[in-house]
Amino acid sequence: MTTHSLEIRRSSASLWGGATGMRQLPVVSKYIDTTTCIGCKACEVACQEWNDLKVVATQQTGTYQTLPELDAEFWNLIRFDEREFDGGVVWLMRKDQCMHCEDPGCLAACPAPGAIVQYENGIVDVNPEACIGCGFCATGCPFNVPKFHAKTGKMAKCTLCVDRVESGLEPACIKACPTGCLQFGTKDDMVAMGHARVEQLKANGFANAVLYDPQGVGGTGVVTVLGHGDHPDWYGLPRDPNIPLSVRVWKSVLRPLGVVAMFGAVLGAIGHFMYQGPKEPRDTGGEPPRPRP
Amino acid sequence: MSTTASRASTDPAILARRSEDVAVGDEIVRHRFASRAIHWTVALFFFLALFSGLPIWTPIFGWMAHFFGGLSVCRWLHPWAGILFFLATIIMFVHWLGDMHLEPKDREWLRPGKIAEYMKYEDKDPDVGKYNGGQKLFFFAAALGALGLLLSGVVLWFPLAFPQVLRELAILLHDVTFIVFVVAIVLHIYLGTAAEPGTFHSMIRGTVSKRWARFHHPRWYREVMGEESRRP
Repeated sequence: MTTHSLEIRRSSASLWGGATGMRQLPVVSKYIDTTTCIGCKACEVACQEWNDLKVVATQQTGTYQTLPELDAEFWNLIRFDEREFDGGVVWLMRKDQCMHCEDPGCLAACPAPGAIVQYENGIVDVNPEACIGCGFCATGCPFNVPKFHAKTGKMAKCTLCVDRVESGLEPACIKACPTGCLQFGTKDDMVAMGHARVEQLKANGFANAVLYDPQGVGGTGVVTVLGHGDHPDWYGLPRDPNIPLSVRVWKSVLRPLGVVAMFGAVLGAIGHFMYQGPKEPRDTGGEPPRPRP
Repeated sequence: MSTTASRASTDPAILARRSEDVAVGDEIVRHRFASRAIHWTVALFFFLALFSGLPIWTPIFGWMAHFFGGLSVCRWLHPWAGILFFLATIIMFVHWLGDMHLEPKDREWLRPGKIAEYMKYEDKDPDVGKYNGGQKLFFFAAALGALGLLLSGVVLWFPLAFPQVLRELAILLHDVTFIVFVVAIVLHIYLGTAAEPGTFHSMIRGTVSKRWARFHHPRWYREVMGEESRRP
């Protein structure tokens, strides 16, 4: 997170964000078309460069994928998979990064005030100054995005290039894409573009094409066109992502109940003492009670 | 013979260092020094873990983090305090297990309404030994709770080393266990201080008055006074 002029809509472990509502900011989104991605990985390089991240050596695992997973120092990964389809083989490439959920599970699970924020324009960001490196955000994320950085003890992930976006620039990955399969704009524009592309695909033999914008997390700040929308798992995407139930139960049920129970116990003890008084022998030292025969 | 040795038989404070369940003058030694030390060691680590864990649990208690130097310190300290709490609890468990033998009538404490009866001061059982059923129940519940907190705590300590389903279960187990634990501890502290005068003294200096013993633990009193043979 850099110092910025964006207002904060939501902040982890805080009741309110810092948004005044005075600045008129549209919600932004990336647009990813997996059907026109050629897997060149220019976006990966651009991400490393802009964010001053180290050069990562490719891990050779018999796939056209740079690393098996996102990493604390590698926030943008082109996932590769191949599947049998229609008597042949299809190569599937999807740009994986933080999805910038409208309802972020990481933010819900985070216990450190202000360590994860959602700006007024929908970007979800980690503030390393407030982050305590507990890793709960990874538990809250249905996309397995936030990664622990062992050296700094902080979590890290894609910032949607908030430092570029706030200055009116597009994210570095979008800027680098040579095929136009990556676009950036307002969420409304990107969704409209996605639906138009899905219609085009459906008319050209991809009957199951969809625009992946899962509503379980309130939609995402990254909308993805999937040629094989009936198999989001082929792209490493969950079919119906949600904030884990246990995180919701913890924050919305157990936490308020627990606080009430704790204060209730203290007040109950005080009330009991006022009503009942101490438990003391009333006698002045007579015969002790004997067991009944 | 040294002075200390000659004083031992008449000064409860000296006697209470090494012996318990013995009467001296008007007092009875209830908790010898080792018992008191292990109790307060457990309490120390419990509160260290509690106060470093609460600010992580909810920002309502975020101010507690300042006592430790911030939330990052709490995140580091809490698991270690928890480990020490668990280790101390094991020692306490072994130390007191012999006194916590569950008798058939202790099951009564599992009956709904029994605790209410106790809190209304309506229980009149002349057969209560050194510890009543509620205390024994609390003893075993605390040990079980400590185990639950440890197991779930280890998962929460290194969440990325465990599969998602375990992490989620750990969150729920850690939460439920510690909420029940804190409520039980509030009750424990209340009963041990304001509600039952004389009890707190037994955990500080080791001794209670005979009057206290006769009233709260009549059978224990008779055993100590040699009026009744000791039960295992």
